Amino acid sequence: MRFGTARRAVRLAPVPAAALLAAAAVAALLMDQVLPLALLTAALLLLSLQANTRLRPYLFGTGTAALGVFLVWPFLQSTGIDVIWEGPIVPVLGQLDVTREEIALASVSALRLAAVGFAFSAYALLLDHDRLVASASFARHSALAVALATRLVPTLERDAAGLAEAVRGRGVKVAGVRGHARLLSPLVAGSLERAANLAEAMEARGFGSGAPTRAPSPDWAFADYAALAAGAALIAAAVLWL
Amino acid sequence: MALVDVSGLEFSYPGAAQPALEDVSLRLEPGEVVALLGPSGSGKSTLLRALAGLVPHFHGGRFAGTVLVAGMDTRRTRPAVLAGTTAAVFQDPEDQVVMALVRNEVAFGLENLGVPSAEIWPRADEALEAVGALHLAERRTSELSGGELQRVCLASALALRPRLLLLDEPTSQLDPEAAEHFLALVDELGATTVLSEQRTGRALGLADRVIFMEGGRILADAVRDDGLAWLAEHRAHYLPPQAEPSDTVSGGEAVCRLDGVRFAYRGGPDVLGGTSLEVRRGEVVALEGPNGSGKTTLAKIAAGLLEPDAGTAWREGRAGYLSQDPGRYLVRDRVLDEVALGVGGDRGRALGALEHVGLAWAADRHPRDLSSGERERLGLAAVAVAKPDLLVLDEPTRGIDPDRKAEIADWLVEYAAAGRGVLVATHDRSFPADRRVSLEREALLAA
Repeated sequence: MRFGTARRAVRLAPVPAAALLAAAAVAALLMDQVLPLALLTAALLLLSLQANTRLRPYLFGTGTAALGVFLVWPFLQSTGIDVIWEGPIVPVLGQLDVTREEIALASVSALRLAAVGFAFSAYALLLDHDRLVASASFARHSALAVALATRLVPTLERDAAGLAEAVRGRGVKVAGVRGHARLLSPLVAGSLERAANLAEAMEARGFGSGAPTRAPSPDWAFADYAALAAGAALIAAAVLWL
Repeated sequence: MALVDVSGLEFSYPGAAQPALEDVSLRLEPGEVVALLGPSGSGKSTLLRALAGLVPHFHGGRFAGTVLVAGMDTRRTRPAVLAGTTAAVFQDPEDQVVMALVRNEVAFGLENLGVPSAEIWPRADEALEAVGALHLAERRTSELSGGELQRVCLASALALRPRLLLLDEPTSQLDPEAAEHFLALVDELGATTVLSEQRTGRALGLADRVIFMEGGRILADAVRDDGLAWLAEHRAHYLPPQAEPSDTVSGGEAVCRLDGVRFAYRGGPDVLGGTSLEVRRGEVVALEGPNGSGKTTLAKIAAGLLEPDAGTAWREGRAGYLSQDPGRYLVRDRVLDEVALGVGGDRGRALGALEHVGLAWAADRHPRDLSSGERERLGLAAVAVAKPDLLVLDEPTRGIDPDRKAEIADWLVEYAAAGRGVLVATHDRSFPADRRVSLEREALLAA
């Protein structure tokens, strides 16, 4: 994973990069103060934006979920005395007041969710998952299963788009939940066919032939150790001060 | 000593009524390059799988006879153990990719074979460089085009330094220049190579020897010149045809007109930078250009599946679009229903369309039970059944044997002659058309 601009990029090994992202997500969940949480979220967003492709669904999903939490949270809470909007009384929920304290809590919750979402985006889009899971030297087959599962999502995305386009190309509209649901069965059938073809190709490439070796990973650089230390420091700061 | 010795090979897939291979015997000497030709379903892919040991180990079925590769009996040796001695590149590169990053993908086979760790990256990079794909090393495999993936798959095979290289239509997604470069590379390797290709011109240009299969049997096995003579006498369609390029505008009124069309996928660079194109009723137009030149994008815009960012796209009447690899995008459980989908369930019209592409016999079969070539024709029937005014086809001859390709070409001429327009995006320069448009040239004209 790279940090920084194209001219001055810092490349991290997959394990410290994943550890740093996990630490950022944990720290976000531990933080209570809006400003540092907002800074951390912004940093993770900037990091995610380094991905060239497939970023949109992650941004949309994270942004929508965080916005939803921000909008709904004040109505699910009943805390604070500084009322900034006084709403009607709704059965079960009670009075729909919005207080300054509720807005602050909603901001914290939304930012936490956004930070975790952007950390996952960066993990999904920027990390070398092959080498990350290969680092689990004791579980080669499980690691490979994880690598294949990671590739499943973009493949399914592409196949689903291809199916919808093929049907539209015949002049048939694909609309609504029912229209899209009809594509599920061929999508699953196509995935099974792909899986069988892939298994055949893997066997033809010697998978399971004996004692495998592993391509050497580069030695960790100063930046990798620094990333681990930064992750630990981030969590400590979140627990102690933020 | 022969590298490959096949004797009396017979094989049937589980549950199949007919054998896929019958009485196949051949010997391959080290360094030989063999063009393996034949119609769809003739047993070419099955023979390649038998040489890799995947038949019978992976597929099961009934197997008789012997296949020896470098002295190893494939019936007693697992494909994973044969790997390294053999390496295979199959038809569809998307189904062969295991890892998320290109360099890791090439290293995958080396790791499996237990190559010393220190040698893995140098060999992976060397193989990528050999296929002109070193610049892709850090790219994600999910982001590559079909042509780029095919190069990566070949690099993965070359990295193993195999003695027997098995190639099943390895250039089907490459433009002519890239395909020629690819095969020139194969020629330089010095490995024994069995090359199955439906675009026969390239394979015949490279081969020392020609094997022609039909119905699971070898009909001809001869050195190149004798093989060409046999083809000329018995299967002339398999000799490379001479397409006559023409810039003459033919046909009647325009059915589709694209003017100064620009398009970029979200967040990406311009794929089309002011391209113009016209298709007239009564003509078949071949749209050519190298990988990445925007043929598919322009075809989708012509069919109304994409809207241009700038410029105008005009079409009269209805358009139908057949995507690349249509066999992957079949949505019904029955061949007849698949075709009827485009005409509101009218099975009579659907059956007529199936008869046109020679698939009426399969009307009650499941689409996924058909061979890849048959699926391509099914996709064509499913789009053409509604008789759109403009029929847009993206690489319709991929995986289609020369006989069927000639039939499809004749059918398209007939379709256009009925007052409709046909636009075919293709790498296949031998595909007959009334007019050939080079996308590169169009772009230059626009510039």
